[in-house]
Amino acid sequence: MRTYLLKRLLQIIPTVLGITFVVFVMMRSIPGDPVVSLLGDAYTEENAIKARHDYGLDKPILLQYVIWLGKLVQGDWGTSILSGRPVLKDVMLRLPVTLELIVLSMAVALAIAIPAAIIGALRQNTWADYGATSVAMVGVSIPEFFLGVLLLLVFSVGMGGALPSSGWVYLPGTCQTVVCAAGLWGNTQHVLMPALALGVGRAALLTRLLRASMLEVIRSEYVTTARAKGLSERPVIFKHALKNALIPTVTVMGLQVGFLIGGAIVVETLFAMPGLGTYGIDAIIARDYQQVQGFALITAFAFVVINLIVDLTYTFLDPRIRYT
Amino acid sequence: MRSTRPLFGFLLGTVMLLGLIDASPTEAQTPKRGGTLRVSYGNEIAGLDFHTSPGYEMMWVGMNVGCGLINITPDGKFVPDAAESWQMSSDGLLYTFKLRKNVLFHDGTPVDAAAVKFSIERIMDPATKSGMRPFYESVHSVEVLDPLTVQVRLKHPYAFMFHMLAGYRTGLVLYSPTATQKYTVEDRKQGKPEAVVGCGPFKLVEWVKGSHLVMDRFDKYFEPGRPYVDRVMIRVIKDPVTEMAAFKNGEIDFIASFSPDHVDTLKAQSPKAHIMSGKETTPMVAQMKVTVPKDGKPMSVERAPHPIFGDVRVRKAVGCYGIDRQEIVKIAFKGQATPWVGMAPPGTLESVNVNHVCPYDQGKAKALLAEAGYGPAKPLTLELMTNNEKSVFSVIATVVKEQLARVGVTANIRVVDKVSWMNTTLQDGPWDMYVEDLLSLLTIDSNGYLSTAYVSKNSSVWSHPRHTDTKVDDYYARYAREMDSAKRKAIGKELLEYMADKMYWNTVSGSPFYMVSQPWVKGYVYNAEFEVHWDRVWLDK
Repeated sequence: MRTYLLKRLLQIIPTVLGITFVVFVMMRSIPGDPVVSLLGDAYTEENAIKARHDYGLDKPILLQYVIWLGKLVQGDWGTSILSGRPVLKDVMLRLPVTLELIVLSMAVALAIAIPAAIIGALRQNTWADYGATSVAMVGVSIPEFFLGVLLLLVFSVGMGGALPSSGWVYLPGTCQTVVCAAGLWGNTQHVLMPALALGVGRAALLTRLLRASMLEVIRSEYVTTARAKGLSERPVIFKHALKNALIPTVTVMGLQVGFLIGGAIVVETLFAMPGLGTYGIDAIIARDYQQVQGFALITAFAFVVINLIVDLTYTFLDPRIRYT
Repeated sequence: MRSTRPLFGFLLGTVMLLGLIDASPTEAQTPKRGGTLRVSYGNEIAGLDFHTSPGYEMMWVGMNVGCGLINITPDGKFVPDAAESWQMSSDGLLYTFKLRKNVLFHDGTPVDAAAVKFSIERIMDPATKSGMRPFYESVHSVEVLDPLTVQVRLKHPYAFMFHMLAGYRTGLVLYSPTATQKYTVEDRKQGKPEAVVGCGPFKLVEWVKGSHLVMDRFDKYFEPGRPYVDRVMIRVIKDPVTEMAAFKNGEIDFIASFSPDHVDTLKAQSPKAHIMSGKETTPMVAQMKVTVPKDGKPMSVERAPHPIFGDVRVRKAVGCYGIDRQEIVKIAFKGQATPWVGMAPPGTLESVNVNHVCPYDQGKAKALLAEAGYGPAKPLTLELMTNNEKSVFSVIATVVKEQLARVGVTANIRVVDKVSWMNTTLQDGPWDMYVEDLLSLLTIDSNGYLSTAYVSKNSSVWSHPRHTDTKVDDYYARYAREMDSAKRKAIGKELLEYMADKMYWNTVSGSPFYMVSQPWVKGYVYNAEFEVHWDRVWLDK
């Protein structure tokens, strides 16, 4: 197990570097120049050349990447070309917001998917099953931004401001700025709609997947054996069937993290949240290369680590699985 | 030298046409102190070096953290800021400013003549890379006469010196020499409070990009009793639907720039909202490229006519007679904008209506196209570029495409993002025609795009159509240096007509600008994008 873990941890390095390299090259290959955004009204050919030199953008791409990597090793993530702000500091400021959003979205997804899938599987081809399947189809079909706007109009505009439309209140102890609002209740109010907007689509997907797995598992011999032993239905379903049925679902959950990060860009923009999603999209639009690299680095790292955790979860769900 | 006020009467005989402004009623109430003014921005602040960072979002912070010499009111009067009085010599070459006593920067250092000299010279220094530098081209030197008197000497008369100091971009923002020399431009750009030191009513507390910007009342501000609010908190809400929801819920007090597309919805959702607007000061354009580099190298001085729009007949057929401006306004702005031809929009000082130069006339358009060799046998096809910054751009591009189809011209729309658009246009890239709204114009002079004169002043990149007609330079020079307002207006009118007639600049309408405040926000004086000051604002709740 330890060897496996070490191997997987070492694999993170080339994976993350590979992703950052691809992003680095792609950003410099697409049309657009950060110097244009930087200089604004002061844009002249002369100033542009000077600025490109100052930021090292006139060097070959490979050399630029090596320089970036060299600084990264020393803990320097660079500074935003546009705002001059240190990338690492901004990423760390925004990471808790996005992390909380993603975790809660997944929680929302599971809270909906697990009961819906169990009901759908146990009462196959009944109204309950059709209902759960139909809701899942609708959920999959609604994009995050649309659901987000609907939630906004219902809970924020329609219900007299039952939930705040935008902004962020930090969890106690997580605020890193001079001026900020923090509190558990405020945080819950602010995260509820974004987490629902992001989580419902995932819930729908997981419901369909888990329902299919459950249908397969509940017909397997060991479940029949468990019932034959006289076990009541609850432990049969939750202890024997669900745990095994969850394995493919957990795999997909890991892969869904990528989609959640993508969805976070939309949801954070809609709800004006100071998270990594808005940080990334602003960086891409402005061609702020350093900021994009910071975003790519942290999201790639998060994606790889979460998938490692997912792999390790298999051993908990199915003790027969052993890593060597 | 003579006193300032009569001279302004002479200089500014014309009241600024800033429009019928729905400004805050000036209630005869005693302002209440305290509270936080919560402001929303539709776009992120790019940086906080007020002399170099781009964008209105930065400027509106700069106007409140910084102070300058003078400000300009909505009716075009100049009012004191750090300068208590000012004079201009009869030849228009010497400007003398007397500063108020006891004006302090936020770091406690005095706002004196040396600080004014320092700030102007910083902007004029090419190494600073300030977008304002071209407007200081006429400045010869800045002299400190005594600690409270500073004199600006010009090389030649410049009729818009006061306008420029008061309201071009941020206006002149004075910087504390001590803090500016101590900290780097990077420190200011990223908004370190100790580096961004002005003398305005609010001092910067914190800027967290993507989250908020906070300014607190500067207790030693030179205007007694002001500002009224303790704090201004700015948040960025990009989506207008969310912004409207936040406004309706009372989460924000003031929307600094509201999407024109959503004004009707906002009115329906929040009937008590105080919506402020005026005659447009920003032109919505359908610009055409006039020349291309002869050697194919972008920005080359050697120019050749653009394959389509190098011919003035085609420019006039397409941009002048082929575009129905009324229809554009009706469809794209629901009638809430002004169909316009002149380079300077209706709200710009000394702008005149030259719509008669370009009446919508399909017959004339077809005839001119035929004269230029286009017709059924040789149809004209062009690329119409726009960007996705505002949804209205694509709507206008679609309407223009439809209108051009009526005269037998095929326009293929290409939508790009803002940075790609800027790259293409600034760097002399390949484009035929684009739809976009450009910088808000306080005066005709403030349009840095209009002249080839700027070519020699390192701003040629902004002359997107890249015409090479030096007659425009002559017009511009005569206009900006003419101190007699009647004569200047006549030159201005000629200039606007000439630009429209040659189609070097193709405005289709004004681009409306809206600000919105809650009913409890009192004392705000609307002055379009030019002057956004929150020191007189108070909260009646």
